[in-house]
Amino acid sequence: MSDESPKAPSLAPVSLEDPHLQPYAKHPGRAEALAAAAMVIGFLGFIGFGITYWISDQTQWEAATLGGGMLALGVGAIAWGKYLMPQGPFVEERHDFHSTEAERDAMTAAIVERGGMVVQRRKVLGGLFALGSTAMGVVIAFPLIRSLGPKPATSRQATNTDTSLFATNWKENSQLVTADGRIVKVADLDVGGVLTVFPKGHEGSSPDQTILIRLAQIGPDDPPFQLESPGRTDWGVQGYVAYSKMCTHLGCPVGLYQKLTQQLVCPCHQSIFNVASGCIPEFGPAPRPLPQLPLKVDAFGNLRSQSGYQQAIGPGFWERP
Amino acid sequence: MIRGRYAIPAALLATVGIFGLMAFSPSAAQADSTTPTTVASAAGGYAYPTPTSTTPTTSPTSSAPSGYGTADITLPDSFIAPGQALFDASCASCHGADAAGTSRAPNLQGLGAGTVDFWVSTGRMPLAISSIQATVKPPRFDRLQTLQIAAFVQSKAPGTGMPIPIVNLSAANLEVGGSLFTLNCAACHTITGAGDALAGGAFAPSLHLATPTQIIEAIRSGPGDMPRFSEGNLTPTEAHDIAAYVHGVIQHPEDRGGFGLGGIGPVGEGFVGLLVGVGLLMLVCFWIGERT
Amino acid sequence: MIDSSLRWVDDRLGIAKGGRTFLDKIFPDHWSFMLGEIALYSFVVLLGTGVFLSLYYIPSAHEIVYHGGYLPLQGQKVSEAYASSVGLSFDVKSGLLMRQAHHWSADIFLGSIAVHMARVFFTGAFRKPREFNWIVGVTMLLLGIVNGFLGYSLPDDLVSGTGIRIAYSILESIPLAGSYLGTFLFGGNYPGNGIIIPRFYLLHILIVPALIVGLLAAHLGLLVKQKHTQFKGRGKTEHNVVGSPMFPTFMAKTTGFLFVTTAVTFILAGFAQINPIWQFGQYEPFQISYAVQPDWYMGWLDGALRIMPSWEFVGWGHTIPLEVLLPAVIFPGIIFNVFFAWPFIEARHTNDLAYHNLLDRPRDRPKRTGAGAMMLMLMFMVFGASSTDVLANFFQVPLNSVLWFFRIAVPLIPVITYFVTVKICEEMRGAEGIGKRKPPNVVHRSASGEFSTVPAEARPGDGHEELEAVPVPAFIDMVPADLATGPGIRRVMR
Repeated sequence: MSDESPKAPSLAPVSLEDPHLQPYAKHPGRAEALAAAAMVIGFLGFIGFGITYWISDQTQWEAATLGGGMLALGVGAIAWGKYLMPQGPFVEERHDFHSTEAERDAMTAAIVERGGMVVQRRKVLGGLFALGSTAMGVVIAFPLIRSLGPKPATSRQATNTDTSLFATNWKENSQLVTADGRIVKVADLDVGGVLTVFPKGHEGSSPDQTILIRLAQIGPDDPPFQLESPGRTDWGVQGYVAYSKMCTHLGCPVGLYQKLTQQLVCPCHQSIFNVASGCIPEFGPAPRPLPQLPLKVDAFGNLRSQSGYQQAIGPGFWERP
Repeated sequence: MIRGRYAIPAALLATVGIFGLMAFSPSAAQADSTTPTTVASAAGGYAYPTPTSTTPTTSPTSSAPSGYGTADITLPDSFIAPGQALFDASCASCHGADAAGTSRAPNLQGLGAGTVDFWVSTGRMPLAISSIQATVKPPRFDRLQTLQIAAFVQSKAPGTGMPIPIVNLSAANLEVGGSLFTLNCAACHTITGAGDALAGGAFAPSLHLATPTQIIEAIRSGPGDMPRFSEGNLTPTEAHDIAAYVHGVIQHPEDRGGFGLGGIGPVGEGFVGLLVGVGLLMLVCFWIGERT
Repeated sequence: MIDSSLRWVDDRLGIAKGGRTFLDKIFPDHWSFMLGEIALYSFVVLLGTGVFLSLYYIPSAHEIVYHGGYLPLQGQKVSEAYASSVGLSFDVKSGLLMRQAHHWSADIFLGSIAVHMARVFFTGAFRKPREFNWIVGVTMLLLGIVNGFLGYSLPDDLVSGTGIRIAYSILESIPLAGSYLGTFLFGGNYPGNGIIIPRFYLLHILIVPALIVGLLAAHLGLLVKQKHTQFKGRGKTEHNVVGSPMFPTFMAKTTGFLFVTTAVTFILAGFAQINPIWQFGQYEPFQISYAVQPDWYMGWLDGALRIMPSWEFVGWGHTIPLEVLLPAVIFPGIIFNVFFAWPFIEARHTNDLAYHNLLDRPRDRPKRTGAGAMMLMLMFMVFGASSTDVLANFFQVPLNSVLWFFRIAVPLIPVITYFVTVKICEEMRGAEGIGKRKPPNVVHRSASGEFSTVPAEARPGDGHEELEAVPVPAFIDMVPADLATGPGIRRVMR
């Protein structure tokens, strides 16, 4: 066997005094003492962990005893291996592990000729088997993939927010409430105030999260607050504006409002939206303004929506026109 | 045992205002011999509610005892004159002699004593250097002087603006405070209160040194870029719950897992994991193996 | 005893021949060959601590009221996943140690893979015949990153929930299939019907680890089959391996190293707090904390997302969110395809079809070293871009300036790095004996004033005698020679 020939020399006995078998350490006694001390410390560390575990559950002591024990034991073992074991160096031959040309030819021939013999004679069977297994591969993917979850509702008329890509629960006249269900009144916020609101009955719902900001102190009879967004001058009311809190970049809640500069900042990737000009993205990766929610005040001084969002909220997707 | 941990800060908090007032007495006495009596009467008039419990309630609902957090400090008129002297010396050059503002600094009239207290007690005012945003530094004035300045500014527009709240966190609800903190504060100050950079060179400061009074003053007045949270937005009770959470949890985090690494999250952890973890192990490799 | 049991096993399995060869397997002694073992042993720690965690973690989004050891959460509505993760940190004895050890060893696992991969790359160890093992390794890196993300998403805390939200949006950005992938995987529009946590759990503890275990076996099997590479040196050729035998020397060292790796992980786990989820609170889709980043091995993707300009394609009734698709799908796709294909790219470029068992010094391959340095710098810069806000806060500079710095630096600095590295390598190659200690010279002045220089004689300790490498002995004559020749002593052949 070709494998054994290089091993043959090693079968001869080697004297214990062969320099290759001597320890690496100049002073093996010292090295042994070091390794022994480390292993004793390791043992004590583990005992310490056992005690620590039973008398208290203090994470730092557990880590110190367990980790310290492992460290010491490991250092001991390494010192043993490095300083006290045969220093070598030893060598091992490397053999070509590839096959000979003849063996390769034989395998190629086996595949090509035997296979060709079968396939050429029984073309129909081969084709049918391929057809069958392909069909199985396709249909097995149905339950694997299709059962995972519902199809997204890509129609703009779909109203179920569990699947619809476009709908939210904001409708005409939805009442603004806080996350814990408190009704939001027009007197609630001062200038420079922000509040996360939801349509009543959908508190905490992800697609409905909306940020309500009071930009100015304007009474009910004053002229409407002028936003720099064309066609939306009456979407704010008494200095209030409301925008979707879902970032148009990756859907993080845009919860960071800077009062002086009237900017909303997304804490995830620092897209900056200018609230006074319709939440146009001024900086960062967000591509679109935050959608605005038209507001009104009802007879009781409660804030309500004039309508739902008029475009899809959140990040972009293929079906978005 | 953990209850005990929170009981101590809570009990301390119940008296923090009194301590604040008492602490200045010696220096104030040197400055003005009439001060101690003023303070004594003032302190008596502050009417701290007696704590009903030294442990914050743990009830899951927000039905906290009604009424806490609604009282404000009434500054005595005797504070106005010394306050004016301090204002003239340190503030009037920018804000004007009657605190009505100049081209260099805003009008302070109508902002209320609480706003003044926040800016002065955190050391943000007087400004040391003009920058985008005033920074926290050791306060120039002691507690009494701060209150005197606040009284002077308040006297320019009596009855308007935010008063200095009386803070008693003994009945505050940490759990409600935690939820409200996450919803209203964490987006800027981070969930650990470490603070972070904002747009335009501004920054949200760390909350780790803020006193409960300053926290409520900041919530109500909205200093700088911070939004203002009116009582219609966060009720007095809720504001106190947030202050209790910041003081009891944010400032005394349960770092039972070891050093907190600055509370800045995975970036710090990644550096430690790579430099300390992988780095140490590479050194061990260096020991085990040959180095030629 | 050993003899008889070995015979019993060998009668049935025939292990003696292969086993003996395995015990004699030579491991090179150079320290850089230990780097992969950090990854191997971190994986062992991951499996061990992971089994512990899975005994207590409940993969469920079901909402319950928290009643556990962390007071500020008392009475809050949380998911079972979050409550059980906090419970592991507060109410399970040693639970926090195990949880943190699991997280730290994940960081160390991926970090050591990166270091190991850099070693393999810069020394050319991926060349023929080891392309398969390179591909297996890169696949394990990819799976490790994926499993890290899945794992830190499981506690359902505020920070990781934000990561899942971002992952959903990245899925959604894929043209045509995106919305379908999202609702299929999450069981509906984000946040779905609560199925994502159990699904991530299944992937995290079963499917991905099983794949990694299989690939790990292949990685080590290929290593044994193809044998180690080695650096050039005395007695080292393309046709041998010089070093220490598997048994006993390497076994002692590597077992010790297993303990040390575990020790470092556990000491970090007790003294450096990682991912304190109780401070973050339950994830709610409308809540957010500033300064949230993914773990470091995902940070480069987050950085790429941050510096991407807001280019969105809109037309023909469709939207392609390039501002997400390019940095989060195309960019990592390109990076990993380059990783996978590198051995073939390089072989094609150099027309080098020979076997390589001896390693290159990095300086001898300036272009490859330059390319590697460029990739490392690119990763480092994009990773840095994932903490623009933290950097802006730390250095007190405006956020926008930091972002603009990275927008320019990320494409620019890696290219500069390439040319600088190539130049340095070429300079190093040009100077003979660089990096070696120079022998001292003795300068003499003759009586006539003439100076002459001769090399000094070697002093003790200047060098050490090296033995010729020999095969591992099969039989050791355990009787010392002087005793063996003495009277009345019988020599026994073992």
